[in-house]
Amino acid sequence: MIITRKHLPRRTFLKGLGTAIALPMLDAMMPALASPGRTQAPVRLAFVYVPNGIVMEEWTPQGQGKAFEFTRILKPLEAFREDLFVLSGLSDHNGNALGDGPGDHARAGASFLTGVHCKKTMGADIRNGISADQIAAQQMATVTRFPSIELGCEDSRTVGNCDSGYSCAYTNSISWRSPTTPMPPETNPRLVFERLFGTFDASLDPQTRARRAAYRKSILDMAREDTRRLVGTLGPADRRKIDEYLYAIREIETRIESAERNNRSVMPAMEKPAGIPIDFADYVKLMFDLQAAAFQADLTRVTTLMIGREGSLRVYPEIGVPDPHHPLTHHRNNPEWIEKVIKINCLHTELFAYFLKKLKTTADGDGTLLDHSMIVYGSGLSDGNKHTHENLPVLLAGRGDGSLKPGRHIVYPPQTPMTNLYLTLLDRIGVRPEKIGDSTGKLAHLSDL
Amino acid sequence: MRGKNLARSLIILSPLLWFAFAPSVRLAQKPQNHAAFDKSIQPFLAQNCYACHNAQLKSGNLNLEKYQTAAAVTQDRETWERILQKLRAGEMPPKGMPRPEKAQLETVTRWIEDELMRADRLARPDPGRVTARRLNRVEYNNTVRDLLGVDFRPADDFPQDDSGYGFDNIGDVLSLSPVLMEKYLAAAEKIARTALFGPERMKPTLTRYHPPGRKIASRTTPLFDYDTTGLSLPNALHVTHRFPVDGEYAIRVFLGGVRPAGSEPLQIALWVDGKQVQVKSFDPAGIASFSIDRQDFAGMAQDFRARMTAGDHWIAVSFLRLYEGLPPAYGGPNPSRRPLPPLPEFKPRPGETPERTEERRKQFEARRAEKVPVNEARISSLEIGGPYEQSLGPSVESLKKIYVCGHLDGHHGPDCARKIVASLARRAYRRPVTPQEVDQMVNLVTTAQQQGDSFAEGIGLAIEAMLVSPHFLFRIEKNRPEDVYPISQHELASRLSYFIWSSMPDDELLRAADQGSLRKPAVLAAEVRRMLRDPRSRALAENFGGQWLELRKLESVTPDRQRFPEFEEYLRMSMRQETELFFDSIVRQDRSILDFIDANYTFLNERLAQFYNIPGVKGPEFRQVLLDGDTQRGGILTQASILTVSSYATRTSPVLRGKWILENILNAPPPPPPPGVPNLDETKVGSSASLRQQLEEHRKNATCASCHARMDPLGFGLENFDAIGAWRTHDGKFPIDASGTLPDGRSFQGPQELKAIIKADREAFVECLTEKLLTYALGRGLERYDRPAVKQIAARVAASDYRFSSLVLEIASSLPFQMRRGDQAQ
Repeated sequence: MIITRKHLPRRTFLKGLGTAIALPMLDAMMPALASPGRTQAPVRLAFVYVPNGIVMEEWTPQGQGKAFEFTRILKPLEAFREDLFVLSGLSDHNGNALGDGPGDHARAGASFLTGVHCKKTMGADIRNGISADQIAAQQMATVTRFPSIELGCEDSRTVGNCDSGYSCAYTNSISWRSPTTPMPPETNPRLVFERLFGTFDASLDPQTRARRAAYRKSILDMAREDTRRLVGTLGPADRRKIDEYLYAIREIETRIESAERNNRSVMPAMEKPAGIPIDFADYVKLMFDLQAAAFQADLTRVTTLMIGREGSLRVYPEIGVPDPHHPLTHHRNNPEWIEKVIKINCLHTELFAYFLKKLKTTADGDGTLLDHSMIVYGSGLSDGNKHTHENLPVLLAGRGDGSLKPGRHIVYPPQTPMTNLYLTLLDRIGVRPEKIGDSTGKLAHLSDL
Repeated sequence: MRGKNLARSLIILSPLLWFAFAPSVRLAQKPQNHAAFDKSIQPFLAQNCYACHNAQLKSGNLNLEKYQTAAAVTQDRETWERILQKLRAGEMPPKGMPRPEKAQLETVTRWIEDELMRADRLARPDPGRVTARRLNRVEYNNTVRDLLGVDFRPADDFPQDDSGYGFDNIGDVLSLSPVLMEKYLAAAEKIARTALFGPERMKPTLTRYHPPGRKIASRTTPLFDYDTTGLSLPNALHVTHRFPVDGEYAIRVFLGGVRPAGSEPLQIALWVDGKQVQVKSFDPAGIASFSIDRQDFAGMAQDFRARMTAGDHWIAVSFLRLYEGLPPAYGGPNPSRRPLPPLPEFKPRPGETPERTEERRKQFEARRAEKVPVNEARISSLEIGGPYEQSLGPSVESLKKIYVCGHLDGHHGPDCARKIVASLARRAYRRPVTPQEVDQMVNLVTTAQQQGDSFAEGIGLAIEAMLVSPHFLFRIEKNRPEDVYPISQHELASRLSYFIWSSMPDDELLRAADQGSLRKPAVLAAEVRRMLRDPRSRALAENFGGQWLELRKLESVTPDRQRFPEFEEYLRMSMRQETELFFDSIVRQDRSILDFIDANYTFLNERLAQFYNIPGVKGPEFRQVLLDGDTQRGGILTQASILTVSSYATRTSPVLRGKWILENILNAPPPPPPPGVPNLDETKVGSSASLRQQLEEHRKNATCASCHARMDPLGFGLENFDAIGAWRTHDGKFPIDASGTLPDGRSFQGPQELKAIIKADREAFVECLTEKLLTYALGRGLERYDRPAVKQIAARVAASDYRFSSLVLEIASSLPFQMRRGDQAQ
């Protein structure tokens, strides 16, 4: 319900009607730390996920190569014809049941970035693979302040299992740091901002701040030592939990060290958000703004954004769709329902166009942020009605610092693993795992014309 | 001879184990009933089931031909539990197939039941093992509140906790990401500083609320009998706002709508948590307006200022006595004594044709004769700004909890650091602490002082260290190599406190654990009763109730505004409040848990009473209301909250509601639909009646029928309630048919009879609630080896008149709650 919240000095508030609301200096304008200046712009990697598949008849363009027509759902992106690929034929085989019965939504979300067939379980023993963004992030750990950030536009407040006997972890997170550790997305824009740009107490003098930083280090040391002693007394299940704790401590220590090495100050390119905007479009745009701001300040180079959780029940009354998304996609060819799904699909591509515009209008090194990005947009299902995991709807935007030649519709042979795309993109930033999930090799045609 | 061996083998068991769980061992020797299987069970299966469930067809993925001996049955018990359920409910054999004789059916179900129970007794008692549980967000907030008297809910900014088995306190599922660790660090600093030095000074911020307004049905005649507080009228505005700190806040409301000219000033009231805190008189008469016949409120604002405590508060702004003070011509109560403004005169415009003048005169007179609506003034949006005049400085409560050495700040004795740190650590870690642990933290205090910081700063540092320690963040139970062993006294104290309070053990619990008396039945019972009486047990309603009943979903449902214009914030809050208070009344008044299904009382305020059409409830406060026969309400199934969360945004779904009942009440969750089954064609669903036809069509498919035959009728029994829980007799122009027949032949008509049928299945309900509450209490999913414990708890609860306290006490005394299985592989 909250629509705006602004920092406001008392005086302004009391002045009464008709006074323009002035913005004071924000917390957020305090310096934050990021990587030191560099001349050559780095390449950024972003993954944008939309749930419940897409009406493919209105998505897949006629024609291949440069001569393709923008379909109804892609229309909002037409301004970026020269900046994106439409990729057809990519598939996520491991999203299929493969003997596990219902649960396509959980599997679609879980395998989208991992290419792994997740284990069917409601709780204790979740198992998936490592996601492409996290493979990239692991190599970025010491380069940027945040190896990656994970964002979402749908609160994961749910009860019970999320899809036919699958743990909610599978539908809530596309990003997985390890086969057993999902990276749950942050959904509150204010918290994302505070994480990226800090909540420094401006009233502290540098000495006090330095002293507190030193204290924090000894607290972390103590926690690590305590835990070491504890580990010896634990059984394997408890051990796994405590390992997560240790990993987290280590990652924070690494980050503190890297911040100490490169202390360049950063001004956030936006004001601090107050919370979750009431209007969904505003909400998504804000999350895109945050990603752009993080890229611009080079605080991270890898992001994921889930516009909705897989199996999302979001309603879109603002565009004439008061029905929940997921049941609508099981439209069984009812034209009215299909029309409503298309409306949702179009809203999502419109919002994605906003992101591209933002990146394209933000200068970065010798070009724009979009020039230096590789952005994957897609869903783990193609036809949501039939739960199809083949021929997924996939867009790839940006030029990857000249390593991509967009502006085309490429049709790959059926059953080409989606993970081949990730293998190819990671290769562009010098990350070369042997395999990602079910990948079989790199994709051709992304760089040649 | 046999008795002697048995006695010897029992001596090896720990005395406690023997004492509590001996009956299961005593019955272990009864031989398995092979003869009965060959004589009556297998022939029954052959005659009634093999036609579909054979090696070739395997309908429903089940081949019964493979079970040729009695032993095979107990080896595959999950399947046989399902078979038992299906046979008992009459779902199998499906409709259309010849029905077995009742006596025959009885023999078979009795036999399967006996076999399963015998297998349970044969099995070694296994308490299971709970994985180290990270505090979830609610537990973190409550623990910090009880540990340090800091109540700003720091965990609300933490990432969402994942849930498993229906709850968000499951050790295996709660993970700890680096992001969360960062938040722990930041929170620890903020908490320690708040406790020692008071909340940090905050900059004022402004939050604007602009909820989509409820539709106002315009009237030109006043009402005499209406809600004079205005709270339940659509003209009011309600929000729940989180106030970050204690302090003064400015609340500005923006108005809209019109009122007849000559009306008295409107009285605008500000309400906080249902209490009227300020009234302001608002007079638009003196403000310039374009129209003479009406007061126009559009864009006008009224300011309030109020002192607020930190935390969530329900803020409401309403018009008092809306229909009073209107010009006498409107005939309303207590009319205006103001002179009417002069009526405007018609003036012809120079140069206009006579026809045009005449036309305009007519329009003018028509307008003048028109009555201005009397009820359109509204609160359209609201801004909350602050804090101003923030309360600073630490709370007395926090200081009392920290400075236990009895010295004033600035006068601490040499031992104070040690005393303070040891006392805090014992409470933070919920167990006795070692001298080394205390040393480490005393060192932190010393280090800080050596760096020139104050003693208090040093204590703050030690608190920060405690708050990020795994001993605080996790509840880790000591692993022992033994097979089965009782958890420690302190671990038991934590299990109890996080179960009943979602928070840390208090001093009394810790003391009992220190003394080693907590496991004594009399002490345990007294503690459980004391804890249930304590206000902190409200956590059961909020956290257990909120998840068991899926009530938390109510916060995020968005009923279609076109179809359900009545649904707004105030109604949503009231719905939630009703169910929480109702749940809490069962805890606090130690009522029968069967009251959940049907009760002759509920909790209402005027808004909800209006919605339920129950007269005589005035004012915003909730109160316990006795329900008579014609209210159609009583028990959770008829509460608007539950009816709303089990519906779609645009309409009801008997399938969803039936599934809700099976899962949450009758302990028979339907399996997901098998692959390849066509979904119900809901496109043709225009009304409840046509939905019924559709579902009947759907059930003609035998595979669908096996679940829907039970699910759908249960849901149809509630069709008299629409998708936000309002009573209806018609859906559009079609009358509602709320009748149903269950597969076992029992029929009912409407919600009252449906509840009676569910109440007759009380055994299933009691087991269902037992399983859910045990899962929540343990923080792990239940396994097959927990069956005997569940059965035993349920039986004892039944023997204690189904009292809620007996359910909690039986769980607290049960094998899985008291004991633990060792983890061998270290």
